[in-house]
Formats: sequence, C-alpha cells, structure tokens
Amino acid sequence: MPRRTKQTKDERASLDRRGFLKAAATLAGTGAVAHAVAAEAPATAVSPERHTVQIASREAEQGTPRPDGTTQSSCGSDFMVDVMRGLGIEYVAAIPGNTFKGLHESVINYGMTTTPSLELISCMHEEISVAISHGYAKIAGKPMACMMHSTVGLQHGAMAIYNAWADRVPVFAIVGAQLDASKRGGYVDWAHSVFDGPALVRDFTKWDDTPISLRHFAESATRAHKFSMTPPYGPTVLAVDQELQEDALKAGEVPVIPKEPKLAPPRGDDGAVNETARLLVAAENPLIVADRAARTAEGMRLLVELAEALQAPVIDIYGRMNFPWRHPLNQTRRQALLVAEADVILGLELTDFWGVTGNRLAAGAKRISISSGDLYMKSNYQDFDRFTPVDIAIAADAQTTLPYLIEAVRKLTTARQRAAFKTRGAQLAQDHQETLEQSRAAAAVGWDLQPITTARLCAEVYEQIRNEDWALCNGTIFQNNWPQQLWTATHHHQYIGDAGAYGLGYLPGASVGAALAHRKHGRLAVAIGGDGDLMFSPGALWTAAHHKIPLLYVVHNNRAYHQEVMYVQMMAAKRQRGIDRAHIGNTITDPNVDFAKLAAGMGVYSEGPITDPKDLGPALQRAVAVVKRGEPALVDVVSQGR
Amino acid sequence: MKSIDLAALLIGLVSLSLAAGAASETPATGGNAANGKRVFVTDGCYYCHGTTGAGGGIAGPRLAPNPLPLEGVKAKVRTASGRMPVYSATVLKDSEIADIVAYLQSIPNSTDAKDIPLLNR
Repeated sequence: MPRRTKQTKDERASLDRRGFLKAAATLAGTGAVAHAVAAEAPATAVSPERHTVQIASREAEQGTPRPDGTTQSSCGSDFMVDVMRGLGIEYVAAIPGNTFKGLHESVINYGMTTTPSLELISCMHEEISVAISHGYAKIAGKPMACMMHSTVGLQHGAMAIYNAWADRVPVFAIVGAQLDASKRGGYVDWAHSVFDGPALVRDFTKWDDTPISLRHFAESATRAHKFSMTPPYGPTVLAVDQELQEDALKAGEVPVIPKEPKLAPPRGDDGAVNETARLLVAAENPLIVADRAARTAEGMRLLVELAEALQAPVIDIYGRMNFPWRHPLNQTRRQALLVAEADVILGLELTDFWGVTGNRLAAGAKRISISSGDLYMKSNYQDFDRFTPVDIAIAADAQTTLPYLIEAVRKLTTARQRAAFKTRGAQLAQDHQETLEQSRAAAAVGWDLQPITTARLCAEVYEQIRNEDWALCNGTIFQNNWPQQLWTATHHHQYIGDAGAYGLGYLPGASVGAALAHRKHGRLAVAIGGDGDLMFSPGALWTAAHHKIPLLYVVHNNRAYHQEVMYVQMMAAKRQRGIDRAHIGNTITDPNVDFAKLAAGMGVYSEGPITDPKDLGPALQRAVAVVKRGEPALVDVVSQGR
Repeated sequence: MKSIDLAALLIGLVSLSLAAGAASETPATGGNAANGKRVFVTDGCYYCHGTTGAGGGIAGPRLAPNPLPLEGVKAKVRTASGRMPVYSATVLKDSEIADIVAYLQSIPNSTDAKDIPLLNR
C-alpha cells in the first residue's frame, strides 16, 4: 500500500461524497467537530487541510479501508428504517457518528422521503438525544429511537439512559459498531471500537443485543420494542454493525419483518386482588398512594374510579399524572397525617414505599403493593429503594390490575359501607378545600419579593396558559410542587413527572421531546426548570429552534446548584469552620448566566433576566404568543431558591 | 416525591404551626435587624428559607412573618435535626441569632391571598 504523507489539492477535490463524510466523521466522532470540518472543507485555509491530510495518511498507513466509491441500489440500513417504522417509530434523535453513518444516511434519504416518515431530530449531545426520547415517550406512549456513536456517543448518553431506566420509560437506542476488526480504519476508528458496547449500560437497560444479520436485526428490534413496552417499561439498546448497515442487500434476500404482537401487560393474581379489595372495603381509613401508576389516560380514569368507589384519599407522588390535582379526594398535601392514621395503604407502582410510610404506620396497619417493579429488577444500581415490609406484594402492572380491583371492591361493598364511604368523602372534600386555602395563603407570602418566589413564578405562568390546552413537561419538586398546589389539571397529558434518577441535564432534552409529542395535538407545552439543569444541556434549545418545536421554557434561575448548599453548610458547621464559605462551588454567579442571551444565540425567542415580579406576567404573555405561533421561547426568571 | 421530601414536609408543617402560634407573643430580641438580614443572606439561611424567611418548600420551612421567639429559634439552630444543620456558638453567635430573629420579626405580614387574583384561579 503506498505510503502518503501529503494529499494534493486535486486528490482532496476528488473525494467523493461518501469518502468525505467518512473522513469528516472519522476525524472527530462528535457532531460539533464534524460540522466544523464540513464547514471548513471547501476553503483553502491551511489549518483544516492539515488535519485532513493527517487522518488520510494514518488510514493509509494503519488501516485497511473498505473500498469506497462504488454505488449500490440497496442497503441494510434502509431495511432497518423499514423495521423501525414498522414498529411505529416516527422519530430518531441523533448527533452524527461514523459508526452509524449508513443508518443516518438511510434515515434522511429514505426514512424522511417515504411514508410513513421516520424523521431525524438533530441534536447537540447524546445526553440530549436520549432525554428527548425519554420525554417524548412519556407523552406519545411509545418509544422513539435515538442513535449514538459506538463508544464516546454511548458514554455521553449513558446518564440519560439511567434516568429513563429509573423513570421506567421506553427508549429504543441504537449504537453503531464496527465488529470486524480487519475493517477498521485509522486510530480514531480503533478508539471508537468496542467489543461489547452495550455492556456499558447493561446494568440499567432492560435488554440489548448485537445482531449479525438483517434478519437478526429485525427480530431483535421487535424483541427490544416488545420488552421496552412491557411493564415495567425501560430502555433497550441494539449495537448495529457498520457492515450490516452499509452493505447492499443480496439479490432476492429481503428479510421478513416480524409481526409485533399485541402486548398484554401482566395483571395481578385474582386471589391477591380479591384480598386487597376485602381489606380496602373493610378499612376505616384506607389510603391510596400512586407514583408511576397511570401509564395512560385510562390509568388515571381508573384510579379516579377506584378512589371514588371507596371514597378513599389519594396521595400522588407525582411520578406521573395519576390523579386530577383539584379532585376532592386528592389529599397529597396531607400525606403525613393520612399515613399516620391509615389502617390500609395501597401503593401503586411506588419505587419508594418506605419514603411514603417509614415507621409512621398505625399499629396493625396493612401495606399492599401493586408494582411491575417486582417483575424486573437488577442488582448493581440500587434504585429499588429501601426495603419495606408489605403484607401483600402483587407483582403486576397496577393500571392493568385496577379494573379487576375496582370490580372486586364494588362486589364487596355493602349498602351500609357505601353510606359510610359517602360521609368519609364529604369530610375529605372539606379537607381538600382547606388545604387549597392553606396553599394559597402560603403562596401569598413574599408575593412581591425579589428574587421572585417560586409560588409567584408558577402562578404567573398559570395565568398565561390556563385557558389553553397546556401541558407541563417537568417534575415540580424544585418548585415546591406549586403547580399541583395552585393549578387545575384534569388530563393525563398535562404532567409527566421528573427525571427518574435526578440526573441533571434531563429537562432541556426531555421537555423538547415531550413538546415534540405534544406538537401534533396542538398543545401548549411548558417547562419550568432550574438554571443548573439547563447549563448541563442547553443545546436542546437549538434542537427546539431548528425543528420548530413549540415550547415555553421558564428558567427557575436561583443562581445556584441549590440542593447542595445546605449539605456543605452542614459539613462546615459540623467541623466548626464557619458557614460563610458554603456557597463556593454551589452558586452560579460572578458572572451571572444570561440565559436569554444564551437562548437567543441558538435562535430561540427569549426574555429576561426578569427580576421584578411585575415584569414577569407581560414577559410570559409575549413568550406564550411566540409558542402559539409554533416556536420555542425562553423566559429567564431570577428566583428564590425553592 | 421521595422520602426526604416527606421528612421535610413534616418539619415544615410543625414549623408552620409553631410560627402561626407564636404570632402575637414574640418578644423583642434586642437584636439588630439590619445585621440579622446580612447574616441571614450572606451566611446562607436564605438558600433554604428564602430571602425573607418565606420558606423553601422541601428545602426549609417558612420562618416569617410571625417567627418563633428567640429561645425557640436558638433551640432549633443549636439542636437541629434532619436536613437543618446544627450551628454551634462558634459558627453562629447568640447575638447573631438574636439579630436574625430581629430581622424576621421586622418582616410584615403578607398580602391576603384573597386579594391576589392570580391565587384565586
């Protein structure tokens, strides 16, 4: 093989399209640098040329590049596109990576130009790609795909996959792979090669595979989709070989795409369900606690039906939109009191039963769990939470089990009990109203403060959206759950819970993904998120602007990684070293981040920083108008900590 | 909401009721409210309790208006439990606690929620 140390201008010009893409992608392995190379390649500047020459030289010296320049009329990755859209997948989120360049090209030139469309969502970071998929699935009720580069890409995306795992959300992840070592090119190809790529995330994915034929791919994709969509939901990964993507199909050998079965989630054992109903009906103070219980709108409807049949209070842990926020039986703010006096507590898809009850149970109180989490769990990452003794553990999907539980409850309830339930319900309705008044009184405290209180922030947001078909795309724990306290939400799509594993960087991507799913329904998607979280993955804003995904992003800008300040104070106080320096490393000041400028720089309409509460309403109103036109907008609000 | 939230909520509820109950009987501390504000903000009480003690939900309960009496605040600061750090006299002097309480006492009652249209939706 000839040894070349320098490439002539003619040689560079002769690079065909595929060769150019390969060089560009091989050079960097990350989208940002690849874009830079692509942009600079036509120019004659000295510096970029030198990089290109070096890579070409190394490939020539060390690798055995596959013959390029041939044309082909078919390819494996077109077939993969057909498999994905056969599974109902409509979007693929990705930044480019050369180990999936065949699939990338098929998505844009085949998937996006034929129907049903499979559209590529351009991303700035694999963590964002996965988070978009995460948020999308919680609204769409099905996974979208995300593609990641073999090694560095999956490493970038790993934390977001962990969030999806902990949040029990399906994500259909594909990572590129170059399995045949003899086909790898220069040193970058080798640095980006791994024998068993999915091993990196195997502890927190439901399933992975590395197919070695197209038929194998089709079967594994169908299997992955089935596993990810069987409760407990979760992410899956397929490592897909470059040759498999890029090689032409053999004549007459188009593999069969397996038919996906209709999925039937597991429901609880009849005996256990009947016993649960008996205990609930007989209880003087039953309590229902729901976390990720309502997978769909039907799940929420069923939970309302159960609660009303028993006239039992419901505590919502806010993992999903489980229960209408203003329903009289919604007693979430009275959790401590109700847990202490309950004689039967039914936990629905709780990940942290201990956190709900601890040792505060009344003597003789029964705990019952219905959770698909008991059906599938792993060991290494311990998101199964503290052990909690329960009296009945029903390993099943709660939503699927509810109709049977409701039926059993109705059968067992006597007329006399029904009258008692009615009395209980009336008292709970009164308690609910009193709690609402307490929340409003608490929200009024510091109403005109600067920095703006989170209560004021949330009330102002609601004022601008309350007459729209709005959908909140964030968990609200860091805003003191003010939306649940002050807003009225009646539809399942109006709330999606939080990150799952509290891994920062979730919300920018997840809210864009959720907004993408909301877009075709014409809903007004809103996210309220922290400044620290946004600093992890601001590139998601660019994706929203690029794809015209309407989303109102309100920055709860407390200028700190707020959660941690008290912990450092605690350490400093314990060691008697003063607490005046605890802000170091925790605050995001000096300089203050200008999120409005940051967003504007990525093509997003923005307002802020808003410091005076009287300016907040008008700024939000202007931003909402932009979102209603079909574009994203950001409002930066300088706020109290919580 | 996880276990930490529930614990914080309990603390918050207890503190709220104490604050409300103490409304009419809070004696003057003789502290310096201006210095109390400085300490409250610069030494980090603000991070969890808000700049005027309005509370930070799960992070820290409401302290004002109508704060606990000085001795109550001092006991809380010296023997805190849960997420609230314990501050010894080395870290936070008695006089500084008195200043903080004076600051909290200087915070006026909030507007009635009924008079805020946005809180009546």
